[in-house]
Amino acid sequence: MKLENFIILFIVIPMGSGVIGVFLKERVRIARVLGVMSFLATASLAIGLLIHLRSHPTGILVSQMGAWPAPYGISVVFDSLSGLLLAASSLVALACYVHSFSTVEPIAEKRYFHPMVQLLMFGVNLAFLTGDLFNLFVSFEIMLMASYCLLTFGGTRLQMTQAYKYVLLNLVGSTLFVIGAGLVYGMTGTLNFADLALFVSKRQAEGRSLPPGFAALSISLLLVFGLKGAIFPLWFWLPDTYYTCNVSIAGLFAGMLTKVGIYAIARTFPMIFAHGNSDANRIVMPLLAVSAAFTMFLGVLGAVSHHNIRRILAVHVISQVGYMVFGLALMTGVALAGCLFYMIQHMVVKSCLFLCCGIMERHTGTDDLEKSGGLLKRDWYLGVVFFIAAMSLVGLPPLSGFFGKLVIIREGWESKWWLSIFGLLTGALTLLSMLKIWGYAFWSPSAKAIERTPQNMSNTSSLRPAYVGATLLVLVALFLGFGAQPVYDIAFRAGNQLVNPDEYISAVLGPHALDELTQYRQQEATRLAAAAAVEVMP
Amino acid sequence: MTIILSICVAVVFAVSLYLMTGRELKSIAMGVFLLGHAANLSIIAMSRTPVRHEPQLLKGAPILTSSFDPAHPMNSIVDPLPQALILTAIVIGFAVMAFLLSLLVLTSRKAGTLNLEQLGTVATQDD
Amino acid sequence: MTISSPVLRNSMRLILPLTLLYALYAMLKGHNEPGGGFIGGMIFATAICTYRMSHGFAAQLRLMPIHPRYLIFLGLGMALGTSAIPLLFGYPFLRSAVGEFHLPFSAHPFHYASAMAFDLGVMLVVVGVAVGMITQLSEELE
Repeated sequence: MKLENFIILFIVIPMGSGVIGVFLKERVRIARVLGVMSFLATASLAIGLLIHLRSHPTGILVSQMGAWPAPYGISVVFDSLSGLLLAASSLVALACYVHSFSTVEPIAEKRYFHPMVQLLMFGVNLAFLTGDLFNLFVSFEIMLMASYCLLTFGGTRLQMTQAYKYVLLNLVGSTLFVIGAGLVYGMTGTLNFADLALFVSKRQAEGRSLPPGFAALSISLLLVFGLKGAIFPLWFWLPDTYYTCNVSIAGLFAGMLTKVGIYAIARTFPMIFAHGNSDANRIVMPLLAVSAAFTMFLGVLGAVSHHNIRRILAVHVISQVGYMVFGLALMTGVALAGCLFYMIQHMVVKSCLFLCCGIMERHTGTDDLEKSGGLLKRDWYLGVVFFIAAMSLVGLPPLSGFFGKLVIIREGWESKWWLSIFGLLTGALTLLSMLKIWGYAFWSPSAKAIERTPQNMSNTSSLRPAYVGATLLVLVALFLGFGAQPVYDIAFRAGNQLVNPDEYISAVLGPHALDELTQYRQQEATRLAAAAAVEVMP
Repeated sequence: MTIILSICVAVVFAVSLYLMTGRELKSIAMGVFLLGHAANLSIIAMSRTPVRHEPQLLKGAPILTSSFDPAHPMNSIVDPLPQALILTAIVIGFAVMAFLLSLLVLTSRKAGTLNLEQLGTVATQDD
Repeated sequence: MTISSPVLRNSMRLILPLTLLYALYAMLKGHNEPGGGFIGGMIFATAICTYRMSHGFAAQLRLMPIHPRYLIFLGLGMALGTSAIPLLFGYPFLRSAVGEFHLPFSAHPFHYASAMAFDLGVMLVVVGVAVGMITQLSEELE
């Protein structure tokens, strides 16, 4: 089997195990083993490919579906960006899935819980791998469909009413996406990312402007991706959604859903919709910058004001998304690498915190900070895991969050210093809110009013999978902190390929796709040199 | 053709937006389904002539044809890509509709109402 | 829900086989012309659901004694299998084998593509999903 053909396994494995999982209704044990195997397989495949591709000249693998050539068929592209995200998302999914063995209700397990998690990952993996705009839409829909089902598994009234907000909002977003994709096709005649990037680069090399309305199109797509990614004006759906569902699922959502929206912006905007020096770029960049500031700051203010562990964590997701948007708003290779690193570490760390939160809820029977306490005495191991994850989120030096923030804030210091100040301020407030959880839940003396319900008296053996999940993620987080260099090597490559898409274009469309573009560029260079010579002459 | 299509799109959008402003979840759901149809129609309306990269065969191909004319075969070939997009979007809309309808049925069974205001008061009660 | 109308009941006897046949035709024709698995499956499901409206759920079970869930499984498995088999031979995912063979009773060569099996899988999924969804929802309402 050729190396290119391996990348489709990221899609086939979760889909296949999802299909089989539908039929394992009562056989919960087999379904669990199948799911764990599937996530292990995708995670090891992603990591293996990433290590293998370090010596590859471009690090891009392309598989053309059905052997139809690129702009006409469907391309599936594995590059450094998608590889890193695939590895992280598979590991996070594995951990959350294992954790869910001790939190999910037995009735849900018999009703398609396992296939739905697999289908969610099918959608997420497809989103990271796809090489065209329309399949991005399709993968969003698959992912959202699975997430709708996972959201409403408990079937309580609160879940139902909260689900409407999420479902209807996302449906409207999807409609906008369809219209946007149609507009892109109408304007450019293609939907393939590489082909679109070539179109934009060619127009700019020729000195021609983009089709009228291209900037409006960029903004409508930014709206769609921003809605999925929960950036500033579009984040209102997030806290309630993560508050009502099962805690392992909330961890999975916190890791995946917003990141896919940010990934979509990172994939399409530097390369296509805000590439180079276009009208679209001039409109999108300030929008992103302002949105980043508000997302970071308002998110963390929300987190500081809440008194419920799960709500604090959920609102924090928004604030951290702000950092990623900050990286995107700078749109340089280094900043995008920082954004990518931050995305990965945030996936891992945030999910880990949610998983810890699940164990805490089981210990104390509540997620209200006022009522809980004394956890450090009762379970020191959980305290250590939570502390490492929380400090990674805050960004204390040897831990992973530091390296993500460092690169973004340093890169932003020269061009957008005010954003960097917002970033530092947000970091301080993040520390405050994390210490609040730490102080109330772990350090405070044992709360008087812990009800000894059968639920929280449950023996620790049923919590064993939950500890396994949280431990796995905290180990990954520690690796990202102490082994940041190899990850950053790949991330820098990804960032540069996003800003300068030539390698991506020639990998997808073939080596001759760039011929015309280089010709234009040479003509432009000679023209400029001639003009400079004329200026010097007199 | 384009004018008729754009009028259709406008009408469907208007109807769906009107439905979505209602207070009943049923009408909101119907509005969302119609919104999807409006989006699909708008793809047809927008993608009449691809600017570039079409196979030479399809240059200026109309989006809808009524009959095959052997004298001008090129006039009766349509650009297939928008149709593929729309078909996919319809399939997805179908799945979403199934989900939303089941959610409506479940909600009305659990809460006994589909009115948004009443649901708001019901939601906070325990079940 | 059942509509007790003798006109519908009697005309369904004629309409049902014709619709099912047309569904198959639409599915097979999809290789070169408008049509395909989704459309064929939709027509098929419409026929079965109309039959249920006229004759009741018991009659539908007699007509289609298999639970829709198994159709979905079979269809998805078939589609996934057909698209993954080329991987074993070193071709990309979804690659279709095409060719022609001669049938003894026909002068024209028969053109086949392995994508047909994929389309059949899609049709089974669509029938399963549509019939299953309508069955579940109407059971809920009754």
